[in-house]
Amino acid sequence: MSVIEVNHLTKYYGKARGIIDVSLQVHEGEIFGFIGPNGAGKSTTIRLLLSLIHPTGGTATIFGKDCIRYGPELRREIGYLPSEVFYYERMKVIDLLKYSASFYDKDCTRRLHELSELMELELHRRIEDLSYGNKKKVGIVQGLLHGPKLLFLDEPTAGLDPLMQREFFQLIREENQRGVTVFFSSHILGEVQRMCNRVGIIKEGRMVEIADIQTLQQNNYKKVRVAADVLDVTRFGLPGVTNLEHNNGVVRFFYKGDINTVMRRIGEITVSDVTVEEPTLEEIFMHYYE
Amino acid sequence: MNIFRRELKANFRSLLIWGVIVVLFVMVGVSKFSAYYGNPEMLAILDQMPPALLSAFSFQAFNLTTVTGFFGLMFTYFALLVSIAAAMWGSDIISKEERDKTVEFSLTLPVTRSRVVTAKALAALVNCIALLFITWGASLASAAQYQPDGEFYRFLALCMLALFIMQLIFLAIGIFLGCAMKRYKRASAVAVSVLLGTYFLSVLSGLHRDLEFLKYLSPFKYFDAGVLLRESRLDVTFVVLSAAIVLLSMAGAYWSYTRRDLYI
Repeated sequence: MSVIEVNHLTKYYGKARGIIDVSLQVHEGEIFGFIGPNGAGKSTTIRLLLSLIHPTGGTATIFGKDCIRYGPELRREIGYLPSEVFYYERMKVIDLLKYSASFYDKDCTRRLHELSELMELELHRRIEDLSYGNKKKVGIVQGLLHGPKLLFLDEPTAGLDPLMQREFFQLIREENQRGVTVFFSSHILGEVQRMCNRVGIIKEGRMVEIADIQTLQQNNYKKVRVAADVLDVTRFGLPGVTNLEHNNGVVRFFYKGDINTVMRRIGEITVSDVTVEEPTLEEIFMHYYE
Repeated sequence: MNIFRRELKANFRSLLIWGVIVVLFVMVGVSKFSAYYGNPEMLAILDQMPPALLSAFSFQAFNLTTVTGFFGLMFTYFALLVSIAAAMWGSDIISKEERDKTVEFSLTLPVTRSRVVTAKALAALVNCIALLFITWGASLASAAQYQPDGEFYRFLALCMLALFIMQLIFLAIGIFLGCAMKRYKRASAVAVSVLLGTYFLSVLSGLHRDLEFLKYLSPFKYFDAGVLLRESRLDVTFVVLSAAIVLLSMAGAYWSYTRRDLYI
């Protein structure tokens, strides 16, 4: 079942492009990575799904309901961690969290304290006295305290130190194991690769690819490195070979196509070392963006 | 209820500041009045001034040597003070969420936008009423030393009712601007400009007979203290007109806020 279903969603801010014709599905229980550089339309998509802004065209549903029309009702089951958190500056952390909890029909007190402990929050400080990273931690607790079924994370790790990042990812994994669906927007590809099952890549407001991370890596080009005493580079001038480099008796290239063709070519010579690797998400990503 | 309570708390300081301004204003005003009080020479000086000037500042209608007359004169300034406060509260209470970028928190909670507008409007209204009572209390306290008659108390109560309606008008206009304006940073500035503009119109309308029609455009002319004193009641036409402005503004506020994009 799709938790989020986006169909041909388009948003223009006046004449400025937000997103164009974005379609995607997020399945129940998965962690969906949403990647793209700054300004590609990641936050716009999330804000549309949270009905902070209204689409110029297309539709989006969450749990099968139109996300604009049923926005307030849907948001009971949604947690949101924006890329930059802004809260009422003059409130104390604990008051803000209690205020947030008061909007949900259930008692969130226990979860609130559990999460605060985990995130090492100082509950009695004012929001305005907190550092960027500490505000982010308040955001994590606030986004999770009501036990949402769907989580929107918009560049969640910015501002967190490595220890907290690890703590945070652990927390998200636990939530996910309990069945929470996660929409994870980021431009840090390493963390997406670690966390997500599927990714969507957005570029200049349009989706360029949606795929399993594994298939994305497998069906993509391979990174080949061949070391030999005597090497003729032209031997590897095959169709499907790109970025061919040669130095110090080592040839490196990317290859997309039937792997056997390359293997046969390599087999014809005496080599001292061969590696064939799948590209990292980062390399795939750069490939899409070039 | 939670939004309402939070807003009351968040606005309490602003209410205190406005309260202090009003109390100081009444104290300074009344200390000036002690120069007029029972002083017929002052009247003679006023009589020599050009009538148009006097009517522009609504000096004409009052006998400034009585405490009732003096408060009649003060009415315009009370009206300016409490209306500016109302306009600013109204526009700010909505637009500050976008200005401070807190919409991304407050409107991703499970609330409808109309519930947010309602709660915030009520909180601002409570502030307005509190400020009105501060004005009333300060007036009563400072007038007491002149042992005013029953007419004064009735007149003052009527003035407060008129002030309340003006607060409602400018509060509603402020809320509408806060809800509707895309350039939310300027909502307060526009609200106060509208207010001062209509005040200026009210001054103009007193200058010449041909300009009298301007009074329909200016809430400051809806309830003229001179007329209140003479007739001891509010003009029904203007009460209806005020109600229409308030209802239209609030309808426009709900309509636009539930439909527009929130900018972060």
